[in-house]
Amino acid sequence: MTSFLASVGYDRWILHVLLILPLLGMPLILLSPVRAARWIALVVALLEFGLGIGLWWAFDASNPGLQFVTDLPWMEGYGVGYRVGIDGISLLMVLLSVVMMPLVVWGSWRGIDHKQRGFYTLLLAMKVGMLGVFVSMDMFLFYVFWELLLIPMYFLIGIWGSANRLYAATKFIIYTFVGSLLMLVAILWMVFQVGKATGTYSFAYTHLLDNAAVLAPWGPWLFVAFALAFAVKVPLFPFHTWLPDAHTEAPTAGSVDLAVILLKMGTYGFLRFAIPFVPAFALSKTTGLVMSGLAVIGIVYAALVAMVQPDLKRLVAYSSVSHLGFVMLGIWGSTVESVQGAILVMVSHGLSTGALFFMIGMLYERRHTRMISDFGGLARVAPLMTLAFVITAFSSIGLPGLNGFVGEFLVLIGSFGRYPILVGVATTVVVFSAAYMLWATQRVFFNRFTNPRNEGIGDLNFREIAVLTPLIAAMFWIGLYPGPLLRRTEGAAKRYIELISPHLPEATLPGPITYGAPR
Amino acid sequence: MRLIDLSTPEGATLALLPELLLTAWALVVLLVIGWRHKTASDMRFVGVLSLGGYVLAGLATAWLAMEQARPDGLAIMVALDGFRFASNALLVGIGAIITVMSLRWLERQGILAPEYYVLLMLATVGMMLLAGAADMMTLFLGLEVMSISVYVLAGYDRTRRASAEAALKYFLIGAFASGFLLYGIALIYGATGQFNFTLIGAQLASTEPTLMAKLGMGLLLIGFAFKVAAVPFHAWAPDVYEGAPTPITSFMASGVKAAAFLALVRLLAEVFPAFVELWRPILAALAIATILIGNLVALAQTSLKRMLAYSAIAHAGYLLLPLWAHSDDGTAAVLIYLIGYSITTVAAFGVLASIERAGARTVQLTDLEGLYAVRPFASIALSVCMLSLLGFPGTFGFIGKWFLISSALHQGEVLLPIVAMIGSGISIGYYIPVVLSMTLKPTRTRSAHQTIRFPRPAKLAVALCVAAIIILGVWPKPTLDFATQEAVQLRRGATPIFAR
Repeated sequence: MTSFLASVGYDRWILHVLLILPLLGMPLILLSPVRAARWIALVVALLEFGLGIGLWWAFDASNPGLQFVTDLPWMEGYGVGYRVGIDGISLLMVLLSVVMMPLVVWGSWRGIDHKQRGFYTLLLAMKVGMLGVFVSMDMFLFYVFWELLLIPMYFLIGIWGSANRLYAATKFIIYTFVGSLLMLVAILWMVFQVGKATGTYSFAYTHLLDNAAVLAPWGPWLFVAFALAFAVKVPLFPFHTWLPDAHTEAPTAGSVDLAVILLKMGTYGFLRFAIPFVPAFALSKTTGLVMSGLAVIGIVYAALVAMVQPDLKRLVAYSSVSHLGFVMLGIWGSTVESVQGAILVMVSHGLSTGALFFMIGMLYERRHTRMISDFGGLARVAPLMTLAFVITAFSSIGLPGLNGFVGEFLVLIGSFGRYPILVGVATTVVVFSAAYMLWATQRVFFNRFTNPRNEGIGDLNFREIAVLTPLIAAMFWIGLYPGPLLRRTEGAAKRYIELISPHLPEATLPGPITYGAPR
Repeated sequence: MRLIDLSTPEGATLALLPELLLTAWALVVLLVIGWRHKTASDMRFVGVLSLGGYVLAGLATAWLAMEQARPDGLAIMVALDGFRFASNALLVGIGAIITVMSLRWLERQGILAPEYYVLLMLATVGMMLLAGAADMMTLFLGLEVMSISVYVLAGYDRTRRASAEAALKYFLIGAFASGFLLYGIALIYGATGQFNFTLIGAQLASTEPTLMAKLGMGLLLIGFAFKVAAVPFHAWAPDVYEGAPTPITSFMASGVKAAAFLALVRLLAEVFPAFVELWRPILAALAIATILIGNLVALAQTSLKRMLAYSAIAHAGYLLLPLWAHSDDGTAAVLIYLIGYSITTVAAFGVLASIERAGARTVQLTDLEGLYAVRPFASIALSVCMLSLLGFPGTFGFIGKWFLISSALHQGEVLLPIVAMIGSGISIGYYIPVVLSMTLKPTRTRSAHQTIRFPRPAKLAVALCVAAIIILGVWPKPTLDFATQEAVQLRRGATPIFAR
């Protein structure tokens, strides 16, 4: 496979093709008849998937640096270029994006019945933005993709959302736009300072990273500016209030994309930009304590809030806040295990939450409600869906043998050395998450069949099975055999730790706590 | 390079060719109006005819720029450098686009007086003189020619009380501003004995600054602050912008503001570089007040025109940043931002004008609800304009914002950029609701929307502007090169900040 891909020059064109295909698809959808819209979107999505999946093999796991690098001029003389490339961290995010693409299109097949052309155009636009964020190796390009993404999401929520959509859309765009404003100042300031020190004004990521030492005096300011943008996206505890609204009001496709990709952009930003640029401040004892403290507050608080949600989608939205807290904890755990765990949680949260949102969407299509109390005893009428939901719920809780467990476990053991108390607190969430997830499952699918209107709920049809099967298969695969995934992220994680290790404060627990690198 | 001796009549004529051609054309058009001034088709005929003047002025500017005309010795009365040519191009472009936008609009509003186009041309001549002045007298002459024409234009819709009120307000405040400016010029003259920018600059740099010179500079700055509507000298702007005929509002918000800023750039760079420590804090204070107050008050507006008026005030605040920077990239940033801002403003007001109906109240935000369903292209155009004003990536507004913030950052200043970004953050609170009510809100006034008729010339102009916003936003390099090269020619000796 690898040699075949190399023979077609795969590594030279793949990232560009991934970015351009949806761009080509957009006008095509707008110009073609309404009935063709979803088909074109599906073809583009399948092409993206078919081409993008090759990255899995073409990616050289032994090379910890950037791969598939391209550096083309865009605004020559102003330091801005079209610079793209991926490493182990972005690889998984890109793969997650291309895998989700056809599923999202297919998942919206029935749910979207008006303004289909606009819907699928925006869906493709969002894909461009998402992929762009993960492959950009130029701060200017990154910022452009980062911001551009808001527009399609805004309209997806605002046009195809449910009752309270305008409020949610406005809240979403204001939170995320305001959050990232200071990031622009920070980027320009970095470019200026590094340029002054080295004589080269460039937005290139590698250039800035290589000379990041220059930035140390402004560490606190730069970190705050970046952290604000990323923390809103993650979302970290006090900045999370937009997420439940956006998730709840968005159409299924929007919710899935939001949960699977958009949130990961925040944690990805921390790993890629916020910490490596100013490691001394970002990893100092106080900052570390604040960030991981907020992460743990988010983990526990969101889990508790999730327990009392009457709305299924809101429940899953809060569970996202909780899971993303694990990622943040793992990032600040700053060991190879915790960082790999964080990346793995990013992937597995995408799989399980994506599947949950799909299923909630399927329930909504059937019954036009998401209230837990409206359901009950669905196992009788929809056994297959019940099975899928239970598996996904277990995966979300972190049952060993499924994907959720591996990542969270790695995060916890990896971070224990640095934050024993916080990890202890975070561990309690296993109980809470089991409580909210299982309790919800019980109330929706088991219990007594009380509401006669649920009689008509049919089981999963072929399309829905096709959407869910890959996700559930991936859950088992990662849960049972995470090796290939970890192997691909290991290089990047190790390199990241090497990069920041001079700035790491002493771990709280004395003595060597070394776990073998997971194989 | 073509050296022109500005002390000879031939030289001065060559140097002033764009302005002279436009003036001459305006006079010819005025003669033509003597015969044709009765019907709507006369109105259109004169409008189209007046476009020829802009073409001529544009060609003359292009010729001067291509010849690389430079003064042979001192720049007497009028500047000859890339910055002036760039300014001219921008101002002529604005004048021409506003003419196109007005073409059917005036007839629809029942305004049948083709002198409108002549006044517009004369105002453009004034703006060009203002921005290209190398002498206090030329500066004042330009300012007055521009202002008096615009006073009349603001009250052009005589039968509407708001329009008359706008004209009177603008005239009274404008007269005050001119007074400040003139008094400032007098004091500067008293302190240095010179009118010429270069000579004053040399004099101020070589001698101990006197109180008289400082006062003179202060009064000049106040005069300009009135013209660009910087807080606290902005109180006239909302009423005038709301009352004036919409194409004229658009002209004031783009052209007049641009001309004043371009003149201010030259003034600060050539006349007062010695006083930089003195005027920087003033500009910084003005910028902070203008950005915050302009944006905050805009949040509370329900009338679209008034909201855009406050947004124009806020943008004047942003534009003070690169002036504050006092550097080559600052000058480039002023040009780039003005290009983006002018295109966007003109397009936004163009859409607004098409939505207006004769005799009706001003367009409210709620009037736009559900516009997308009935007039998709108008609402897409207005949405793009809003995003560009907001400084969203993918639009030229973002490129402008980038340069503007960089120019201040490159001077080691962080507070002003942060204030600008905070202002930008506030502004999403009034730009996004426009997009929201057009695209996401259900239509309540479908029948009203259906009566909206875009005059074809205005439609074309708006489409061009919107295309330019996006194309320049994605591929800005030629514009950036142009601006950074033209800007460098204003002030020699300083090093460009971007490595080339």
